Amino acid sequence: MAEVSYVKASRVFSGNPPVRAVDELSLEVADGEFLVLVGPSGSGKSTALRMLAGLEDIDEGAIHIGGKDVTNVPPKGRDIAMVFQSYALYPHMTVAENMGFALKLRGVPKPEIKAKVEEAAKMLDLQKYLERKPKALSGGQRQRVAMGRAIVREPSVFLMDEPLSNLDAKLRVETRANIAALQQRLGTTTIYVTHDQVEAMTMGHRVAVLKDGLLQQCDTPRALYDRPANAFVAGFIGSPAMNLKTVPITSEGAKLDGVIVPLSRDAIAAAGGLDEVTFGIRPEALGIVPSSEEGMDMTVELVEELGADALVHGAVKIGDSSQRFVVRVDGRTPPTLGQHVKVAVRDTTEIHLFHPESGERLEA
Amino acid sequence: MRRFLDRYWYAYAMVLPVVVVIAVLVLYPLAQGVFFTFTNINEGNIANPILDRPATYDVVGFKNYLNVLSGGESFGAFWGTLVRTLIWTFSCVFFHYTIGLGLAMLLNRQVKGRTLYRVLLILPWAVPGFISAFAWKYMFNAQYGIINQLLRSVGLPDPVWLGQSNWALVSVIIVNVWLGVPFMMVALLGGLQSIPGDLYEAAEVDGATPWQRFRHVTLPGLRSVSSTVVLLGIIWTFNMFPIIYLIAGPNPNARILVTYAFERFFSGASRDYAVASTYGVLILSVLLVFATIYRRALRKQGEVW
Repeated sequence: MAEVSYVKASRVFSGNPPVRAVDELSLEVADGEFLVLVGPSGSGKSTALRMLAGLEDIDEGAIHIGGKDVTNVPPKGRDIAMVFQSYALYPHMTVAENMGFALKLRGVPKPEIKAKVEEAAKMLDLQKYLERKPKALSGGQRQRVAMGRAIVREPSVFLMDEPLSNLDAKLRVETRANIAALQQRLGTTTIYVTHDQVEAMTMGHRVAVLKDGLLQQCDTPRALYDRPANAFVAGFIGSPAMNLKTVPITSEGAKLDGVIVPLSRDAIAAAGGLDEVTFGIRPEALGIVPSSEEGMDMTVELVEELGADALVHGAVKIGDSSQRFVVRVDGRTPPTLGQHVKVAVRDTTEIHLFHPESGERLEA
Repeated sequence: MRRFLDRYWYAYAMVLPVVVVIAVLVLYPLAQGVFFTFTNINEGNIANPILDRPATYDVVGFKNYLNVLSGGESFGAFWGTLVRTLIWTFSCVFFHYTIGLGLAMLLNRQVKGRTLYRVLLILPWAVPGFISAFAWKYMFNAQYGIINQLLRSVGLPDPVWLGQSNWALVSVIIVNVWLGVPFMMVALLGGLQSIPGDLYEAAEVDGATPWQRFRHVTLPGLRSVSSTVVLLGIIWTFNMFPIIYLIAGPNPNARILVTYAFERFFSGASRDYAVASTYGVLILSVLLVFATIYRRALRKQGEVW
């Protein structure tokens, strides 16, 4: 049980020019919190986790675990347990030996190791496999052994580096729920790295979005979705991604294909002086309206039917260029390919405006 | 049966050449060698087409085995030679493995000029065996050799390396270790590189010291490579003839089973083919027994082979 804090921690890989894989990361993780680090590949999320594990040097700044500065402490002294993407199970040891290895190294008496391993195995439904070697296990079982190895040690922090990316889609959803429930039950501070924003949204108490080694935003999943701090977060969180287009702005609102989308007075004030803004709207905030009503003309190019609803991809003319939009519609009556439809903003409160160059969120 | 041939004749036709070659080159000489062990064949009674002389040797049953296994001096002191062969084999393979592993671990790190070191360390392997053997023979020379000059200059005793003492055995072991390390190093380096790096990281997070990581990750990770190269090493060293013969010659203090079989076959007054063959069959049996025990021991450890 411990809180974790990154204090302007950086990891710089030598090279020409040097690569700042993690750049002055400052982050506070409360005791018992489940924090997810998410970002595209190369965003530095795994490096940030490995810095906390002690597997990467911390070139600048510091990291504290439980109030103690561990910047120069080797992994052994940090009281952490890590679940690797490849699971990194010792191939020559049985499941029980794998799980008890850390305790064995610590010199814990054998009966105690056995009891703890059995307890963890029970929690993860692994009792039947304790005498097997990792080779004889399925992917899901291996993943659970890797979890068990972390649990048995009763560390103050769990670190998980994309632990679900080697599982098939169905198992991933199932395991996702199991990990979240397990963390709830154990109450151990957990830092979880993933590139999958659905995993991030469903599991984390809070989600930290990274890009190019820089922290973009760290907030609850709801807040990330409703109030993304910049255009990158807006585009990264949510599936399908938010429609983000650079459009002209007037005193009445944003101009889209002849339609003026009215904006709140605050929003226009925040965009004061700008000719253009990055206009963001989620697919579910758009809707197809009867042709008699006002809206943008869209030519349907692709319809993805998901069952409950359908995603309509289409081209809309903005200015001189043709722009793609995604609209979420009712799954039972999707438009057909090539059809011309009218698309309108259903809810003007769900419009996000960003600075066209810096990408920062406009309006307070 | 007819249908079987109709259906599979092609497969049999394809393997036939290999079967013939193996039969002529391996099976026939092997059977002949085994047969010779039950005769008193030597240079004097073997068939000689040039002199137009028919074979006059007789079958003598197990007499050769009795002579050899009784350990008599005139039949090469079998048991003493066997013990020397085992000392030779195990000390060579032990040093090959430990030195090879040490060098492989050093080369497996990120060091400057790694490629250069690798080339230098493989050099003994690249030099033809007889050249290195003669080079070492000069270095071991008791009076003018560089080794004894060095020993003298630091005030240490300078033994007669290749004389009639156990130093001869020590000398050939040193040379063979020098020659055999590159192979072990390259094989073990390959093995080391196949161990996933995240196992070391997992062990580090689990709290393992460098020594514990070596014991619990490196050694088990190398097990399948090690078991193969150690078995190969033992078989090769057990039968390693050229190094001993080129350096120590027929020195009985460096004699192992194969070199004695060679001596019996090619030198001496009588060229006793029967006793030489008997030695050959005994060497084969020792190695067969050893390989069987070795494999069984590995299987017990759960190694699939």
